Amino acid sequence: MANPTKTEGPRWGMVIDLQKCVGCDSCTVACKAENRTPPGVSYNVVVEEETGTYPNVRRINIPRPCMQCDVPPCVTVCPVNATYKHDNGIVVIDADRCIGCRYCITACPYGARSFDFGESYAGEWDGADALQSPEYGVDRGSRETWKAPIGTVRKCNFCMHRLERGEEPACCETCIGDARYFGDLNDPNSVVSKLAASPRAFRLKEELGTEPRVYYLR
Amino acid sequence: MSTATTTPRTPTQSPAKPKHWWSYAPHEPFLTRRNRVLWYGFLLLVLAIGAWPVLNRLINGVAVTDLTSQMPWGAWVAFYIYFVGLSAGAFLLSSLIYVFGMHQFEKIGRAALLSAIVSMGVALAFIGLDLGRVDRALITLVYFHWTSPLSWEVRFYTMYVVLLTAELVFALMLQRRTMAPAKAHTWMRILGIVGVPLAIFGVHGGTGTIFAVVKARGMWFGGLFPIVFVVSAVVSGTALVMAIHYWQARGAGKRPDTKLMQQLSVVLIGAIFVDLGLMFYEFIVPILSFEHHDKSIMAIMALGPYAWSFWVFQIGFLVAALVICMSPLKRSAGWLVTAAMLVVVGILGVRFNIVVPPLVPPVIEGYPVNDYFPTLTEWLVCAFLCAGGALAYSLVSEWQPIHDPDPDEHVDEHEEVAA
Repeated sequence: MANPTKTEGPRWGMVIDLQKCVGCDSCTVACKAENRTPPGVSYNVVVEEETGTYPNVRRINIPRPCMQCDVPPCVTVCPVNATYKHDNGIVVIDADRCIGCRYCITACPYGARSFDFGESYAGEWDGADALQSPEYGVDRGSRETWKAPIGTVRKCNFCMHRLERGEEPACCETCIGDARYFGDLNDPNSVVSKLAASPRAFRLKEELGTEPRVYYLR
Repeated sequence: MSTATTTPRTPTQSPAKPKHWWSYAPHEPFLTRRNRVLWYGFLLLVLAIGAWPVLNRLINGVAVTDLTSQMPWGAWVAFYIYFVGLSAGAFLLSSLIYVFGMHQFEKIGRAALLSAIVSMGVALAFIGLDLGRVDRALITLVYFHWTSPLSWEVRFYTMYVVLLTAELVFALMLQRRTMAPAKAHTWMRILGIVGVPLAIFGVHGGTGTIFAVVKARGMWFGGLFPIVFVVSAVVSGTALVMAIHYWQARGAGKRPDTKLMQQLSVVLIGAIFVDLGLMFYEFIVPILSFEHHDKSIMAIMALGPYAWSFWVFQIGFLVAALVICMSPLKRSAGWLVTAAMLVVVGILGVRFNIVVPPLVPPVIEGYPVNDYFPTLTEWLVCAFLCAGGALAYSLVSEWQPIHDPDPDEHVDEHEEVAA
């Protein structure tokens, strides 16, 4: 696992303003379209939580990508080093090494990992399996049985293939409320660094010591 | 109870000395002819029924299960840890003989070792079929990740199987006198001394550690878990060997050794008491500390959709076995094997309750609550693998003198019983 203090390049992070999120799920839709994820696999979800009792009810929408933790419990349990922390701060999965034991799914405190059971949208729309998203910059061609990533674990990777093209993750670009901010947490002058240092900022399940790179503004 | 007379076995009665340990030599039949037909017929029937579900799994992947991304482990993982436990328990029982010199159990030494090897094989088959990419199973030996308990386990399991096989070979060489007894005993003691910590800390304590390090899940995370695994392994392994001894003797038309089973039941009683004691602490600590996550899992276990498994198998069967072993019923081998089989099935319930209920509550509030029950395919694959293990055990027992008495020991004349 890379030491966060030793890297010189960008170390990506995300800030999500919960006051701006309207719970439209457009991030989830954009993510599915961008990453062409199969049925049952969603890298991003929006958790809707209702608190209080009528008439004092409050609804909070919590968009949940992968937290790209700096101390990722999913990485520590992987028996074959198929998932690891990239120098750019993103937790990546090597679909050509993953054995599909799903130990990392049990270890993730955020439920951010999905198993690719091999399901397909092929019956619902033409050409669903003709092309896969070039995750981690790997062009995998069409989606076929016995071929990775089927049978392996998948998750949000901050659209690393888009970052390499100088683009933001699809969820950030599509957010109608402009609730998502993305940038380099290594740069103290970046918007994300400033927002992450705000008194409004918090992270999910901080008590577990996983050091997520996704911050929320309350 | 048998009124058996004890006679020394004379050299002329010793089994013929074969050239190699693996060559067949006449030994006492594993089963009577009639029971052989019934037993193998039954196993082949189960294998035939389970063959298509296994093929279906191999063709269509893990999608044939009721698992989801939020419920990643189920019955096959429960069976995997169950068989690892049976293996570790049976091996630890054999070490009482070969390491600690408790020769009253000598009669079941080779059976314990063989059942440990076969159980480990069945455990690996279960976890192999549970992998999304079963074709990559062996790369676990190539890539090592020191922080992953599972990565260590793969190596421990490999060493353990090699060690068990070597120990069984020495036990067979001793039995068939293809090696000097003193030399064979020395080797078996050495292997046992290495094997005991390997079985306790590596194989089964380590399997418990796979769960214990997962801080995302209530009831798994904690230091007690590996110890619970080892103790319940001794419980199930001892019960398995008792059951094998009884049913093999009956199947071969012999009278089971009630005294031996009573001695084994003492080990069983002690282990069940410790197991139930650990379970008590496992439950009372979260209850008294009002730990929300653990309490919600306990509620699922005791009152939720899997309550039948908890109350009937985990509690009911173990307590019933304890009552049988501590009451006058223990005078009967039939009751003792009933207790043993209650334990063998009861510990399966324990394993199910270890794996499934802690995965049911969502990790983040707002996610759907998981609802898992194994599909018919999952159950039939379980039946196939269990039958496969029983077949492997039986075939080795047909080939090698697994259940024969020691040629130099004073042996009980087995009374023929009606087949």
